[in-house]
Amino acid sequence: MSATPDLLRALAVLCEPPEPGHARIAAALELPVGPAPGDYVELFLRQVYPYASVYLGAEGMMGGEALDRAAGFWRALGLVPPAEPDHLAALLGLYAGLMEAERDETDPARRALRRTSRRALLWEHLLSWCPLYLDAVSRVAPPYYATWARTLLDALLLEGDLLGRQPDLPLGLRDSSGLPSREEDAAAWIAALLAPVRSGLVLTRSDLGRCGRGLDLSLRVGERAQLLRALLEQDSDGTVAWLAAEAEEAAARHAAGLSGLGNVAEFWAGRASATAAALRESAAMRPSETAETGG
Amino acid sequence: MDRSVEQLATRVSAARAEVEARGETFYPGPSRIHLAAFPPKERWDDWVELDSRAWPNRVEKRYMLVPTTCFNCESACGLLAYVDRETLQVRKFEGNPEHPGSRGRNCAKGPATINQVTDPDRILYPLKRVGPRGGSRWEPVSWDDALDDIAGRIRTAITDGRPNDIMYHVGRPGEDGFTERVMASWGIDGHNSHTNVCSSGARSGYHFWMGIDRPSPDHANADVILLISSHLEAGHYFNPHAQRVMEGKERGAKLIVFDTRLSNTATHADVWVAPWPGSEAAILLAVANDLIQRGIYDREFLRRWWNWEDYLAATQPDVAPTFEVFEQALRTLYTDYTFEFAARESGAPVEQIEQVARIVATAGTRLSTHNWRSAAAGNLGGWQVSRALFLLNCLLGAVATPGGTYPNAWNKFVPRPIHTPGHPHIWNELTWPREYPLALNELSFLLPHFLKDGRGTLDVYFSRVYNPVWTNPDGFSWIEALTDESLIGLHVALTPTWSETAYFADYILPMGLGSERHDIHSYEQYDGQWVGFRQPVLRAARERLGESIADTREVNPGEVWEENEFWIEMSWRIDPDGAMGIRRMYESPTRPGQKLSVDEYYGYIFEQSVPGLPEAAAAEDLTPLAYMRRYGAFEIRKGVGPIHEQVVDPAQLVDMAVGPHGRVYTSAAKPPDPNVVPVATPDPDAEGRRPVGVLIDGVVRQGFPTPSGKLEFYSGTLAAWGWPEQAIPNYIRSHIHPAALAADEKVLISTFRLPVQIHTRGQNAKWLDEIAHTNPLWLHPQDAAPLGVVAGDLVRVETEIGHFVVKAWVTEGIRPGVVACSHHMGRWKVADHGQRAAMATVGLDHTDGRWEMTRKRGGGPFASTDPDTSRIWWTDVGVHQNLTFPVHPDPISGQHCWHQAVRVRKALPDDAYGDISVDTDKAHEVYRRWLALTRGADAHSPDGTRRPYWLLRPLKPGRDVYRLPEEPAPIR
Repeated sequence: MSATPDLLRALAVLCEPPEPGHARIAAALELPVGPAPGDYVELFLRQVYPYASVYLGAEGMMGGEALDRAAGFWRALGLVPPAEPDHLAALLGLYAGLMEAERDETDPARRALRRTSRRALLWEHLLSWCPLYLDAVSRVAPPYYATWARTLLDALLLEGDLLGRQPDLPLGLRDSSGLPSREEDAAAWIAALLAPVRSGLVLTRSDLGRCGRGLDLSLRVGERAQLLRALLEQDSDGTVAWLAAEAEEAAARHAAGLSGLGNVAEFWAGRASATAAALRESAAMRPSETAETGG
Repeated sequence: MDRSVEQLATRVSAARAEVEARGETFYPGPSRIHLAAFPPKERWDDWVELDSRAWPNRVEKRYMLVPTTCFNCESACGLLAYVDRETLQVRKFEGNPEHPGSRGRNCAKGPATINQVTDPDRILYPLKRVGPRGGSRWEPVSWDDALDDIAGRIRTAITDGRPNDIMYHVGRPGEDGFTERVMASWGIDGHNSHTNVCSSGARSGYHFWMGIDRPSPDHANADVILLISSHLEAGHYFNPHAQRVMEGKERGAKLIVFDTRLSNTATHADVWVAPWPGSEAAILLAVANDLIQRGIYDREFLRRWWNWEDYLAATQPDVAPTFEVFEQALRTLYTDYTFEFAARESGAPVEQIEQVARIVATAGTRLSTHNWRSAAAGNLGGWQVSRALFLLNCLLGAVATPGGTYPNAWNKFVPRPIHTPGHPHIWNELTWPREYPLALNELSFLLPHFLKDGRGTLDVYFSRVYNPVWTNPDGFSWIEALTDESLIGLHVALTPTWSETAYFADYILPMGLGSERHDIHSYEQYDGQWVGFRQPVLRAARERLGESIADTREVNPGEVWEENEFWIEMSWRIDPDGAMGIRRMYESPTRPGQKLSVDEYYGYIFEQSVPGLPEAAAAEDLTPLAYMRRYGAFEIRKGVGPIHEQVVDPAQLVDMAVGPHGRVYTSAAKPPDPNVVPVATPDPDAEGRRPVGVLIDGVVRQGFPTPSGKLEFYSGTLAAWGWPEQAIPNYIRSHIHPAALAADEKVLISTFRLPVQIHTRGQNAKWLDEIAHTNPLWLHPQDAAPLGVVAGDLVRVETEIGHFVVKAWVTEGIRPGVVACSHHMGRWKVADHGQRAAMATVGLDHTDGRWEMTRKRGGGPFASTDPDTSRIWWTDVGVHQNLTFPVHPDPISGQHCWHQAVRVRKALPDDAYGDISVDTDKAHEVYRRWLALTRGADAHSPDGTRRPYWLLRPLKPGRDVYRLPEEPAPIR
């Protein structure tokens, strides 16, 4: 049992800007009605960016070493990397291509090589981050995209089962480090919280808005780092406690939901747990800041 | 979820099958899932992209992608024209991934073709001069009137027995031999190329080795890459070679670059050697000597493939000719070329030269080397630079090996055309003067001096995509010749764009750019053979839509034509009734008495002369021509390998005879070959048998197209034609050797390119102009300080015949004692016509043999159909230094030796930027001085002929006219 190249391509094109031709693909995938105008921009351009480097890079942004690593994989296959080699659609398209190359290969030795490439792409560049990413999409997306995310996750997990796990943790995860000390460099600490590979968390704008609303804090307009900084400035303890709760919830979700991913699930769950612990510890050590300001 | 992944997968595949059965695309629009960095060829008929100009709105544009070939340099990289399906206009150009040479990648010049197509200053209609020649007044003329006038003059010249009065002078050929065959069909020796201001020096060095005049380095598979050139690499096959140099480096190859400047290439080098200009051969021979003394050479390769027997026969006739004796001699030949000697000559550190030798020694058969212009084009004796460079390949056996250097003819395919006119039986001494019997190419840049000397006149002179007034040295002498109607009766400029030469024409006939004309070509860019097809893309696009186009002018802008149709029409008008025997070469094979169409011309070639193409086309249910119109290129072979090692078919060995050193001759007719790539044609034996191979250890192998059939370490040709001291690879001290300079003189190197510009052809592209539009003088701080010059100051550069005033750029990226100024800049116009983005408007004054050029204004913004022209922010468009260079013809190769001995001083108070002053009488004196260096055929021909018949020659005449005439050479 496995996914098919057609299925993966169909899922891939749906994280591209919507257009009329997507309707028949969505119908074949039995997705709910949608998307509404603006859903695509809100989801993929404002909330959850479909680029591996955002989730695997130490900066939590597009580009950098994580992008180079993805581009290097294309090159290793003898392909010219496209303009955005780590975009989810590009990676899924590549994966579908490798499936077909393996299927069409008649020489057993070469077929085995194709399979090796396919497995490496799956684990190093898709399963290393997509479960976390698609989980985030499911949380914040309207039904159309939430269903898309669950279908894609199922398909990828099926592929993981079929090809078997890699003994080693994917390189992008293996080489990463956790949170730095907040006391030493608050800006770096905030940046790390927003970098999934360092915190184990995907903190979307929507998530931070939920935090603000929950704590009754005003929300700043700006990039997520500014938003989070503003929340911390208004209510450090409350925000840290909220973050810690998010991290604990994420750790539990990863441990339960990604169990089929072995060491990858352990990594994400472990990273989120460590973040939760660090946040709890940080809250315990720091004197209250907001309580003093009202008097 | 309600359905399993498998069920959904099944539904998706069924939906896709259903949609595609309707002829529609299932995965819509521009998506990353298509993987390719390029549009997949299956989607070229209807490619969808978002319109970048409509951002942030998502507006889809639908294109037809039509391949063609870039015309901006010789590389012939593949382009894909994006033809808007709504407007049927070209919207942009990108790379053609189906092109085996460029592989979808292009330099800046390729995409800039769109600028050239839409250039508001381009010439769209035929023009005829009004008033005196050079007066810059023009009126429109119909193609018919122009053709009738020109054809009538040509017909009269031929029928009056004055065929040498017709000359076609070409800059960028961009095609493989079409126009040469036109000249041959007219029975004239009227082909004149630009090659002697370009690559003939390097060609000579290669040719004397292997009978083939170009190298084909396999950079991608090399372990050591040695380049004697500036940017990757000096513009010849720039992009295809550059990408393979980088692949080689990624594999771990070491890159060694000899370049006096810190060029783009030098910045990529593992070892950058900045020699004194002209000393390159000294370094190379020191490296060779080191390999020889340490025994690091491929002994078997030398024994089997060098013509060492010829060397011994010529130099030690009384000694038993064994290879061991030759090795002994070889060990003594270059002992003077120590690292210390090379260091003294070059100024490079001894340790660095030794380092180069050590690295080269590790290459084995994976040494790729290349020299094209640069040192070979700069120096007296520059041809020995490429000969000394290829010596390293020959020592290591790195000839036609993976990672080595191939003879170009083995990596090139020129398909046999529908008609191959015979050799003309006429010799033109204006282009092939007797003083230069060994020159591989026409002495084109001496034409004004020959005309002034009364050696001949021209009745019809075509300049074709060529700008000798600007490109050649001594441009004012060109102006003098072009404006003298007693020397040149009619000047026809075939050009896509305004040029300094076109100003002195009688007719300016607009010719198509890279997307507006047909050509085929094939160039040595790796160990393989391919043909590329340039085509008028709008014609191809409209034919895809079912239209029938008979004349490319129907689709080109204005009345811009293409040359194939032009020459066919011209030939018909020269010989309207077929009485001259010309017209039959241009008649349809299937429609008797009708003109040959370009579809018939190329259809024949692709069906009959390109192995494998008909089969590949049939597999896609296309005709070969339709296949080439769709994909633009076809790879015939990959991994050609060492042709010289191939065993000759025994059926070819009829009446076999073996010469004294193993050359094998046969009476068998040469088998037909669809590849008519030019190679040398060694002479037959005394009984008239043709050379067919060479005996190597008892086996007859193909060998090389040289007299010996081997690699000619010893050139019997050079020895026999008056240059015995240059018969083996050697170092000739340049005309700008330090010993030849006065104490206050420096060397000016002018041959280097700017990566985004390409002579006249690049400066009708606004993007390129914005990037590169000036050419300051590179000046080392040590040289600038005594002059009191800082960057931006004006300096006066004085040559033998005049001076120019330019800005200084003080930089440590050049050797002290050497200054440099790129030749790509300094375009000018005297009136309104011209490229306003890249040309200065100048005043010209000619008094008593002295020319003065003064700048009235530089470039600047102007209103046009293109809003970008109002945003031009630069005024500096460089200085035309070539005007101040006298001619320096190398006495052997005929190559113009570009480097100049100059004096640089701070500009005088009255000097202004762009001022140029030249004394053409002095220029003529310099010409005569260099002419005196020659050893002409009259005195040195060993057999009473004008030149060795075996040497390559464009438009090679019949053997009968090789014999020297009774009367002496018309030297005055």
